[in-house]
Amino acid sequence: MPHSRLRRQHPGPVWRLFSSAGFRFAALFAAVFLLAALAFGSVLWWGTAGALERQTDAAIRADVHALTDRWRDGGAPSVAEAIEERLAVDAEGQTLYLLQDADGARQAGNLAELPRRDGNSAWHSVTLSHEDGPPGEGRLMVVELPDGGRLGVGREVGEKQQLRDLLTEGLAWATGAALVCAIIGAWLMRRALERRLAAASGTAAQIAGGDLSPRVPLSPHDDEFDRLGASMNTMLDRIAQLMDGVRGVSDAIAHDLRHPIARARNGLEEALLDEANDPAALRSAIERGITDLDNVSRVFQAVLRIAEVEHGARRAAFAPLDLALLLADAAELYGASAEAHGQVLETEWPESLPLVGDRDLLLQVLANLLDNAVKFSPPGAVIRVSAAQEEDAVLVRVADQGPGLSVPDRARVGERFFRADAARTTPGSGLGLSLVRAVVQMHGGALWFADAGGPPDHPGLAVLLRLPVSAGTEKPAA
Amino acid sequence: MDLLRRDVVLLLLLAMPASAQEVRVLPLGEAECVELSARLARNARAWRDPARGLAAEGRRLCRDGYFRAGVAKLRRAVRATQGGADTARP
Repeated sequence: MPHSRLRRQHPGPVWRLFSSAGFRFAALFAAVFLLAALAFGSVLWWGTAGALERQTDAAIRADVHALTDRWRDGGAPSVAEAIEERLAVDAEGQTLYLLQDADGARQAGNLAELPRRDGNSAWHSVTLSHEDGPPGEGRLMVVELPDGGRLGVGREVGEKQQLRDLLTEGLAWATGAALVCAIIGAWLMRRALERRLAAASGTAAQIAGGDLSPRVPLSPHDDEFDRLGASMNTMLDRIAQLMDGVRGVSDAIAHDLRHPIARARNGLEEALLDEANDPAALRSAIERGITDLDNVSRVFQAVLRIAEVEHGARRAAFAPLDLALLLADAAELYGASAEAHGQVLETEWPESLPLVGDRDLLLQVLANLLDNAVKFSPPGAVIRVSAAQEEDAVLVRVADQGPGLSVPDRARVGERFFRADAARTTPGSGLGLSLVRAVVQMHGGALWFADAGGPPDHPGLAVLLRLPVSAGTEKPAA
Repeated sequence: MDLLRRDVVLLLLLAMPASAQEVRVLPLGEAECVELSARLARNARAWRDPARGLAAEGRRLCRDGYFRAGVAKLRRAVRATQGGADTARP
């Protein structure tokens, strides 16, 4: 299944611009910046021009309340007198008053008329016309009096209007400047993003072109892009390692199988061309050929089994079992073999070691480990197999007195067909420990190696594996 | 700059209520001068400076036909009689 989505093709550069992540980030930045500028402007407006308007409205409202109270106390004449008093001290000519009776006739004040009723709102913003001056702006509150008359109280707000205009102009300039800053900032951000991503995208393009060697160059900033680049590099290293592994396995299969196949072919050809035509010799050649081909088949089976285990296909066969019984079976099987090699097999484990797993595979693991121990230990050596119950796991240790494994080899010993230099002369395919590692991983366990405690030139090898009691409860570490 | 001013005016027009009615303010005339002079005459504190000076100047401006300026002076004089500190401006 392909992991890449089909990319939709869009015609023009405008769409490409809008679909660019850099553009979207930049647009987001610009939007946030403008929003912040708008919020700042709003607060400034609310705190200055808005405050002046609220102050004016509050003064008008207070005046209206005072005059209506006066009306209740003394009627229309009292209000008219109060209006005249107020106008008499208004040297700046900022106040606006008009008291009308029920017929609309003017009783007091400096306005010729009141604005028409406009819904339920008592507030009116009006244009004031002066006979001896330019028009101005006014704010009026008009209330109905209980006798049907109307009272209008207001203020000229021309100067405040001018201040508001100045403020508006300033805010408009500031908004323009903010817009320019947002656009420049967005452009810089987009360019910075593109620059930082250029290295990664260039490397990806080279790799897509078939060259796996390039790596994303990292800057000293150690920022998110560098971390992404480092992750990409780790991924590429891993891919390269896996590809090397695949290539190595292919080479190893070709190398390991070429000899038995060629030997079988040569033996059969030799028997066919034998002029003596001896049936016994022919039979013997065929039997050797079958043996060689069986060996080839066994290698394939082992490779397939490892693949099967690595893919977890046998997890369904997991069942509760007693590892102590498996250890006993394996020890019985290989005790005779060790004895035949003049070796001693020492065992130590508790009476019962319950865990959940695949019985056949675990027996195969123990067999492979004991087979290696017998194979690589000299005559007279002691092979020790021990197991112990831990809190949530079982720890198994198989130690021999062979040549041991160097530390670099220990890291590679689970690779398919890998054989240490010291083992080149020993029969084997290099698949035994691969299967062990795969089985341990499938059980969620861990596999590691240590010296068995022998002399420095012959330290022996201890293979340790920890298997969780409930398979899959531990993270694989081998 | 002109373009910006036009934009600002447009913005203000949009922000203002659509139906800003026109209201006429009555012009200041001799009647206001007379009424303020009478108000000052009834107040004993109007005979003391600075109210007295302001009142005199206001009456003179009214006599000369500068009603708006005259009324403003007389109103300052009234304010001065009430204890206001509005004496700095002539």
